[in-house]
Amino acid sequence: MRKPERPHEHCCCRATRQATGSRWKEVTSERIMSPAATDAAESKPPDGGWGWMVVVGAHISIGFAYSTPKALSIFFKEIQEDLGASSSEIAWISSIMLAVMYAGGPVSSVLVKRFGSRPIVIVGGLMCGVSMVTASFGRSIVYLYLSIGIIGGCGLCFNLNASLTIISKYFLSKRPLANGLAMAGSPVFLCFLAPLNQFLLGDFGWRGSLLILGGMMLNCCVAGALMRPVTLSCNPSAVAALKNMETTTKHNMSKKGRCLTNARQFLDFSFFKDRGFIIYLMGNTMYIFGAYAPIVFLSAYAVSQGVEEYSAAYLLSIMGFVDMFVRPGTGLIANSKWIRPRIQYFFGFAMIFNGACHLLCPMMTSYAFLVGYAVFFGVGFGMVFALIFECLMDLMGNQRFPSAVGLVTIIECFPMLLGPPTAGLLVDLYGDYKYLFYMCGAVIMSGGLFLIIMNILHYHMLEKEKAEHNGARRSPETGNQDGVSLSEAQREPTEAESAPMNRDPQDPSTDDTGPDITDHF
Amino acid sequence: MRPDGITNTEMSHDVTVKPDGGRAGARSCAAAAERSARRSRGRRMKTMPASWKLLLLPTLLLMTSCGRTDTKTLDPTQTPPASVPPLADLKREVVLKSENVTENIELRQLVRLFLECSLTADQNKLPNMTAFWSRDGQEIPDSRLTVALEKEQYGIQRLFNITSEEKVGTYSCVFENKVRADFVLATPRFREKRDKPVVSYVHDFVVLPCKMEGSENESLTWLWFKGNETHKERISAQPDRFEIRSQNLTSRLKLINLTFADAGFYYCAAVYAVGSTMNPIKLKVITFWEPLKPFIAILIAVVLLVVVIFLCEKQQSKKKVTEGNEENVDQNNIK
Repeated sequence: MRKPERPHEHCCCRATRQATGSRWKEVTSERIMSPAATDAAESKPPDGGWGWMVVVGAHISIGFAYSTPKALSIFFKEIQEDLGASSSEIAWISSIMLAVMYAGGPVSSVLVKRFGSRPIVIVGGLMCGVSMVTASFGRSIVYLYLSIGIIGGCGLCFNLNASLTIISKYFLSKRPLANGLAMAGSPVFLCFLAPLNQFLLGDFGWRGSLLILGGMMLNCCVAGALMRPVTLSCNPSAVAALKNMETTTKHNMSKKGRCLTNARQFLDFSFFKDRGFIIYLMGNTMYIFGAYAPIVFLSAYAVSQGVEEYSAAYLLSIMGFVDMFVRPGTGLIANSKWIRPRIQYFFGFAMIFNGACHLLCPMMTSYAFLVGYAVFFGVGFGMVFALIFECLMDLMGNQRFPSAVGLVTIIECFPMLLGPPTAGLLVDLYGDYKYLFYMCGAVIMSGGLFLIIMNILHYHMLEKEKAEHNGARRSPETGNQDGVSLSEAQREPTEAESAPMNRDPQDPSTDDTGPDITDHF
Repeated sequence: MRPDGITNTEMSHDVTVKPDGGRAGARSCAAAAERSARRSRGRRMKTMPASWKLLLLPTLLLMTSCGRTDTKTLDPTQTPPASVPPLADLKREVVLKSENVTENIELRQLVRLFLECSLTADQNKLPNMTAFWSRDGQEIPDSRLTVALEKEQYGIQRLFNITSEEKVGTYSCVFENKVRADFVLATPRFREKRDKPVVSYVHDFVVLPCKMEGSENESLTWLWFKGNETHKERISAQPDRFEIRSQNLTSRLKLINLTFADAGFYYCAAVYAVGSTMNPIKLKVITFWEPLKPFIAILIAVVLLVVVIFLCEKQQSKKKVTEGNEENVDQNNIK
């Protein structure tokens, strides 16, 4: 750890960071399209170079995170017979894994802010590997809940959060493309893991397959090794100085105050004051509620329409295959100069498209139509998921993204766990799958409409606030003003690149603790 | 399933046998006959030989009433005699044009099978057509009929009493112009076909499941066998090796403390009154070393990759440091 230097040795990044609290609202209001401002830092993200290797690492990491809970279901039948469990008991394994993966978000974001992405992904990979290996020796279903569900879920959670954070650190102008490429890991790994799991099951049984799967998940450690911390051009001593300040303020506070700040580290409720964040959160919750149920019930619906079982299983593979290409494609489109300023609207449009697909599904009775539905479903699903974290990064900015994503994932836990059972209840009550699709389509579509309408209102109000602030800003301020204009001036060249987007560009920020701790790696 | 006690005075009553106990019915018939014969013999000891007729008549009647249940050649319009046990009724109709038709019939119990074939008349429109019924390829004697053209169709029908496993086969109606319809009778097939073996480990346990489709209330008898296509050996529950748990439509065979000798084919048989269906399951037993080998290979690969990546990074950062030092030196020189 570097010795904290004296506060007066500062560089530009520290100056603006100091003014965080007071200037926050002002800078926030100055952004038209991307309301979140981060602290100005002069080191702009590399946007290339080693960044692409980091994207590969994130691709692997995110791929395992999203595809493992689904790919494990291939083993469930065998495990169910051997351990004498019922179908619902077995299904809990996946649910616990997903729940822990999402609920562990805040913990993961605190750890990522503290230690940086690399060690967290390596630890996550180790945890995943250990969880699968211990699960292969399981004798009871509760043992599997603990090993796969909790330990595995924790490992995946670390992977997910840290990968997303490091992308936001490495990319700014090419960030949608990087996000699209990284999120494409999910369908790629699912397409790859599903047949592999079948093959392993036939050769080694479920115990051997879990052992080998554990070995493969250790590749997340390789992904973590690729995630080199971003090197700062800024004087890192200033960052240490800031930390020194933080610790002194902490000492001055009472014990209760300290407790509160510690708690606030985990769940930063100040986010709820941010209008853009609330809008995003609500739209996202509605989407997640309706997103997974059609996937779960698609083959059952196809079989009920008279399609035979193998062909019905192909529908999901088709959807995954289409998804694989749509995600990077969407990232590329979102990166273009027409879409990027309006990325929140594009996100809303993607949700509406997805919802419309589901609403039309009950009309698909023949296999050819169902294949068409699967293709469009893949397109819609891929579009939304390529943009889902990009929009959050766009809203929150670099600094606040780790905590924001932790908060979003823990809140998303509830609709994700409630969605498929509610849909299943509808199927049981009415005995017909069409109500499931109507419900999911309606919820998703209204989520998309909500996002678009509320974002229009939101930006409208932001423009008004900006106009007011521009009037009020005539009064002189302290040296902060210089800090602002200096960083803005520095951003001019980058603005020219990604022109309309960065009218008040997002700040690529430095990793708070990066140079201090991760240098040791 | 024992019938009610048959006494000499009760000859005219039915032999009450449950429908799905065809074989048991025949057995109980024989038992009833035996009992009545014994009783008659007992009485005969005391009475005079003139009562031989008394003995013969009830026995004969009993025999004929038992024998009646095996009849196949019953005219469908005639009401069956009261002594035939109440079987379920199953009706199948097939309309033929010019091609042969095969119809699969799933039987779970003993039935009275009513089959009907209708041949659509072609351009010739002959007034009469001969047809016969065959079973398993062999013509049933006295079944050849000449049917008249009625509403553009030639119709032939027949009632078959499927009362035992031997009666299950393929029944066909064959027309003069060689067009035929085959009705394939069979016990229900297992829906899920496992093509992959169940793999388990030495000293471990494994559960082999068998599930049959059907209605919820159905209760089946299950048997398990080990062996191959030609030779199967019945498995009985031994406490330290096998455990069979059967419940309605599913049955599970649990093998404990596996050894290499336990590998091979296992057959679960669902037993119905009209026969049984077998489902093969292959069991493969391996040691834990088998999956451990690829695992260790992957582990080594991962460690190598991580080390390589870190080494590359160290080299690159060393280069940058030396470059940076050179730059500083240059700058100082310039100053």
